[in-house]
Amino acid sequence: MDIFILQVLNALFYASILYLIASGFTLIFGVMGIANMAHGSFYAVGAFVTAWSLGFLQSRGVEPWLLVFFLPLGAIAVAILGMLIEPILLRPFYQRAHEYQLLLTFGVLLIIEDGIQMIFGSDPLLVDMVIAPFGSLQIFSFRYPNYNFVVIGTGLVTAFLLWALMYRSRFGVVLRATSQDMRMASAMGINVGKVYVLAFGIGSFLAGLGGAIIVPTQTAVVGMGLEALIIAFVVVAVGGIGSQLGALIGALLVALVRTAGVHFVPEIELAVLFLIAVGVLLWRPTGLLGNAP
Amino acid sequence: MTLLETINLKKSFGENVVVNDVSFNVDDGEVVSLVGPNGAGKTSLVNLLSAYLTPDHGQILFKGRDITSLSVSERIKIGIARSFQIANLFDELSALDNISLSISARSGKTYTFLSLADRDTGVQNEAGNILSLFGLDDKSNIPAKELAQGERKLLDVAVAYALKPSFLFLDEPTSGVSTRDKAKIMDTISSAVRNEGVTAAIIEHDMDIVFKYSDRIVVIADGRIIADGPPENIRDDKDVISVIMGSQGNEV
Repeated sequence: MDIFILQVLNALFYASILYLIASGFTLIFGVMGIANMAHGSFYAVGAFVTAWSLGFLQSRGVEPWLLVFFLPLGAIAVAILGMLIEPILLRPFYQRAHEYQLLLTFGVLLIIEDGIQMIFGSDPLLVDMVIAPFGSLQIFSFRYPNYNFVVIGTGLVTAFLLWALMYRSRFGVVLRATSQDMRMASAMGINVGKVYVLAFGIGSFLAGLGGAIIVPTQTAVVGMGLEALIIAFVVVAVGGIGSQLGALIGALLVALVRTAGVHFVPEIELAVLFLIAVGVLLWRPTGLLGNAP
Repeated sequence: MTLLETINLKKSFGENVVVNDVSFNVDDGEVVSLVGPNGAGKTSLVNLLSAYLTPDHGQILFKGRDITSLSVSERIKIGIARSFQIANLFDELSALDNISLSISARSGKTYTFLSLADRDTGVQNEAGNILSLFGLDDKSNIPAKELAQGERKLLDVAVAYALKPSFLFLDEPTSGVSTRDKAKIMDTISSAVRNEGVTAAIIEHDMDIVFKYSDRIVVIADGRIIADGPPENIRDDKDVISVIMGSQGNEV
């Protein structure tokens, strides 16, 4: 029983991070039709910026409980990075074939990965000092860090806020209209360029947030963005690309499968994950909640 | 007062001249019908006037100002809107959201993240009023793609109307709609337009509708205006009627 609860909590924790990464990826794809290969690297930048900033602040004598409030720094940095990349690099390529966009964003990925090494060095960064102030919760025979509940809560709150943004705000109507028919929205007088920058900024922010809140529990290491990108692909493919609810359900499913895989068949846990993804795609080629193209 | 004026407007696709030296005026508050056989150039003319096509030659003046080089969105900003022969809607959006999008595009309220759409009562009320003006109030939460053909046409007109244009082009607002619903749709559109004093140019094939709802009729054939006058004059002009009837005698 204890193990079961622990595994479910771990799965929810992992799902929350996956959801943050995948929701941003799927938002950008839904609005701009761009499969951003650099999205995993945005997640890594979020982790590194937060880890470096917290380390820096701690060395200046800032108390651990205060450092918590600086966690979002990584997400903000990535949002700014995204809002620079979209108009400067991506915009000239919207009219081109998808191959160009894949090549371009893959190039961005390479630059960011090297940039991370250049700026932060190759040593892993760890900022686990923010976990302790939250304390932990006794669940039967084990203690579970409360910080993990913060991560799970962040995923849930983000899902709600994104839903509200898409379906309850004025900007959401504009966003959905633009993603459906950019030319028509533009003809109506909507500033599509502005919508794109904002959408890309929000999508980037989400990936950065994933990196920022995971870095107290895992070290920021070079290459973390690539693994994130691949798993995020699985999440959006299973959930249905472009669908926010799909990203949520896909993240939960992938997290549960992977946690169970690690527990029961650790030797082939990734294989199990991909087999299930293949199964879902054979059954529903557009993903669980994807629309037929 | 003249609201819109074209001077020697010309457009051709290769050898095919679709709008040939068209000069005409529309006065403020008029409801004008553009009629003529299929392929006469009516839709091309409306496309030129709403910037979906660029003329090869000639000028378009709006309130005395040359607007020939303005884009679609720039023309919308100065008050020229249109509806389409095939309803041009955001299919996934509800009827209400289609309208409220027009209103926010018009008023520049599109980027307010924090104004929850449900509570943004100014926009929401106005959108609701426009929907009921067009008799669509019971459809407000239905996605546009699930509406019936006639409702889609009305919603398309309502979306253009919500941009608060001073000039509204309607490209066959009743095409694809059952004869029974045509009069209802035209009554709705006509009263909405006339109550607000909106100037309108309507492309229409059904001559009963044309005679009933227009102040003035412009007859186009082979890209040229061949007659222009009040309904009673056109009705009595046997030559003009035979040109219009040429391709569609069954509708007269």
